[in-house]
Order: sequence, then C-alpha cells, then structure tokens
Amino acid sequence: MIEFYHVFKQYVKDQYALFDISLSIQKGEFVFLTGASGAGKSTLLKLIFKEELPSKGQILVNSSNINLIPQKELYLLRRDIGIVFQDFKLLANRTVYENVAIPLVVRGEKKSAIDKMVIKVLAQVGLSHRKNYFPTHISGGEQQRVAIARAIVGNPKIVIADEPTGNLDTELSIEVFRIFEKINANGITTIIATHDLHLLNMFPKRTLKLEQGKFTSSTPTGPAEVTL
Amino acid sequence: MNLLQSTLNNAFISISRNKLINFLSFGIIAFTLLIFGIFNYLSYSLETFANEFSKNIEAIFYFKDNVEQPEIDLLLKKLKESLLVEDVTFSSRDQAEIAFSRQFPELKYILSEFKTSPFPASIEVKFKQEYNIGTKVISFIEDIEKLSIIESKQVNLDWAQKVMAIKKFISLVGMFLSMILIFVSAFIIFNLIKLNIFYRKEEINIYRLVGATDWYIKIPFIIEGALLGFFGSIMACGLLFITLKLFPAYATFMYNIFKDMISFKNIPLILFLRLLLLGTGIGLLSSYISVRQFLKN
Repeated sequence: MIEFYHVFKQYVKDQYALFDISLSIQKGEFVFLTGASGAGKSTLLKLIFKEELPSKGQILVNSSNINLIPQKELYLLRRDIGIVFQDFKLLANRTVYENVAIPLVVRGEKKSAIDKMVIKVLAQVGLSHRKNYFPTHISGGEQQRVAIARAIVGNPKIVIADEPTGNLDTELSIEVFRIFEKINANGITTIIATHDLHLLNMFPKRTLKLEQGKFTSSTPTGPAEVTL
Repeated sequence: MNLLQSTLNNAFISISRNKLINFLSFGIIAFTLLIFGIFNYLSYSLETFANEFSKNIEAIFYFKDNVEQPEIDLLLKKLKESLLVEDVTFSSRDQAEIAFSRQFPELKYILSEFKTSPFPASIEVKFKQEYNIGTKVISFIEDIEKLSIIESKQVNLDWAQKVMAIKKFISLVGMFLSMILIFVSAFIIFNLIKLNIFYRKEEINIYRLVGATDWYIKIPFIIEGALLGFFGSIMACGLLFITLKLFPAYATFMYNIFKDMISFKNIPLILFLRLLLLGTGIGLLSSYISVRQFLKN
C-alpha cells in the first residue's frame, strides 16, 4: 500500500530531514510514527500525499510512484487519502456539516449523497448534534472529531493524522484514538504521527520511531516500548 | 450540477465578502466603460450622419489620354459587378464633345480649334441609395481614383468626408483613452483577485488536500473576475443611458449645434452589448492572468 525505497529529504544543504528511509505499510495496517519534534514525522507524512517531494528515492502509494504522478492528476491520489492535522484546519465560516462535506462537494457528488455520507460520519464521530454549529462554537476535541469526519467522509483508503491529539487533553486524546481504531477496523490503513508515549502504550500497534530523520526502532505490534 | 452550483456559490461568497472594495471596483470599471461607451456612441452618431449625407452619391472618373478601350471595359465590368454601384455610364471623348456642344452651343466655336476632342473619356457612377454604405462608398471611390488609368475624379462628398475625418479622430481619441482606462480596470480586477487568493489561502490549501481539481479551485476566481466586469458593465450601461438622455436637457446650446449630427434619441442596442461583452471580457481575462500567476501549484 505504502512503500518507501531509500528516501532522502533535504531542505538545506548538508542537513537531512529524512535520511535513507525505507518502509512498507500494508493495506489495513495501523502504524504509529513517533519521535521528538523535528525528527521528521511530518515530513514523512507529507511525502505520502505529495505535499513534499523526496530529494532522492522512490515512494509508492497504492502502487503509484508519487514522483511520476503529474500535478494535474494529484487530486486522484489525495482523494484516496484522508488527512487530519494537529490544528484541525477547519473553515471558520462554514458549519460543521459544511466542513465535513467539502471533500464530497469538490468531487461534484449529488446533494442527497453528500447528505447521507455526512450524516453517517458525523454519527460515527459522535457529532450529529453539532452539525449546524460553527467550528469556533465547539470544543477542541469536537473540532478534531470534525477534522476526522472530514478525512473519512470520502471513503479514503488511507488516513493520515499528524499529531492529532497535540492540542487535546489526555481524556479527549484517548477518545480520538478510539475513533481512529474504529476507522482502522473498517480496513482503512491508518498512520498517526504522535510523540505521546502514554497513548502509544495504551494502543499497542506497530510503531516506527524517527530520530533526526532516521528510523531508530520499529516494533511490529504490541506495546510501543519506545522512549523519546 | 452540484459542482457548478458550489463553484458559483464560492464566487458570489467571495464578492459579497469584500463589499466596499468590490463596490469601488464596480464604480471604476463602470466609469471606464462609460467613457468607452460615450466615445463609441459619438463615433457611431457621426458615422450615421456621414452615411445619411452621402446618400445619392454620384462620381465621375476621368480617364487619362492614352488609355486603351480594353482597360476601360475592364473597369466598367468591375464597377457593374460591385454591390455598391447602381448604374454606370461610359462617355467617350467624342460623346463628351457632343454633350458639351449641346449644353453650350454658344461656345461650340472653341471646339473647332481642336483636331480631336479636348474632353477626356469618363465614366459616371451612381451608387446605390442604401443606408449605411457611405464609408464603403468613400473608400471605393478612393480605390478607383488610385488606378493608373484615372486622371481625376469629381464627387460631391466633401462634407461627408470631413465628418468622417472628425469621426476617425474621435474614434482614435476614444480608443486611446479607452485603452488606458481598460488597462486600469484590468489592473484593478487583477489585484482584487490576487488579494482574494491570499485571503483564501488556507481554504485553497484545504481544497487541495481533500482532492479538489486545479480547475475547481481556479474557476471561482475567474468567475469572480468576470462577474466584477459584468456588473461593472451593467452599471456603465445604466450610466451611459442616463448620460445620453440627460445631456441634451442640460446642454441645450450644444444640442442645437450638433442636433443633426448626434441623435440622442436612438441609442443602438449593440452599444450596450459591446459594453457588456467588453466588461465581462476584461474581468475574465484579468482574473485568469491573476489566477495563473498567483495560484500556481
């Protein structure tokens, strides 16, 4: 599903954000990406949805080499990937419903289909009662759940989350992680970047640890047993 | 359908977001198009006037001495085939002499001094009395006059030609002013779209990440530019109509002088259509350039 072959990413000369990364993530896997701030977690995630291009190496996503996807066809890759950000990236002037509907609206889906899908995912993340609220009128945890709903509403094959609990307290973070578990249980490949050790230990999954752009450890499944 | 609706919605939302700036730009676009419209209208009126003036045009072309008959026949054929020409009459040198003798019998003795007819051969051309062919007739006459077999011409079109010269001058001034003002309008729309792109950067980024196509993101901005131009031109049409209707009432003196030349009663619909097309076109083009420059992938 996702394969990295000797991937390097360099923003500045003689300084690597990612150094010789090779990895393989299978369909339906749940993977944690961990490491201290600046370790290269976000960069690695951005490479998957081609927000960044590798300086060297090859990346395959859904059997497509992302280096070879033309700019005008990039939207097809992005429609297969749901992305959740630490800062939620919700549009303040749109309601919860409208925010979640965006991926379907840009695809030109019919209103009835949009309605059906949005209502379904809002129920999945427990936000049906907030659908007409604006993001500024709901809590941080709810905002993050809106962002998750937006990421999964288009039936993506992969869900990527970059520090999704970075702005949430422990209780809300657990709640959010449980939602990700449910998403993964539906067969969606889930990759979450986090440096929250407590959560890593609570949710025993495959964990890849990055340090200064290099993988330093990898646990297949079970408790992360990683220290930062 | 849903895609089209959401695209249009985005464009309207963007326009309604910056009401003051958009209203000012409508005003500037409207003013620009109004100037263009006024000059266009003046030019149209003068042309109509000149056309009216040049109805029933008759021209006589005099041939050079050494012109052979086949060359004359060729020109006669060409004239008869022209859609502008009603009738052509050829008059040979001898026929001209006879005509002179008939017209001025008391001067007949002068002709006896000459061995051959002193009059040149000529053709008299009557042009069709169709409305609006004046300018074409003038250039047609000028073309014939330039032929090597023609010595001179006689035509009573001085007035019409003078009016046409004024019309040309007004058209040129109008075009020059309009070009500058159109450039200003285009620049304003270009910058408005640029501002909106920066204002909606976050939103654009989200659209890209959720899989919107490039055109889904770009088209609302282009439509927005076209709408700015379109609404500006509607405003200009209104202002032009009011100006042309009210001007005679406030400038009676001017009106008396030019009332035959410039008819304030008939404002051609095509003029309004031109303004609408021009305004929308300016908006469309300048927003497209802005989008190309500031919405790179």
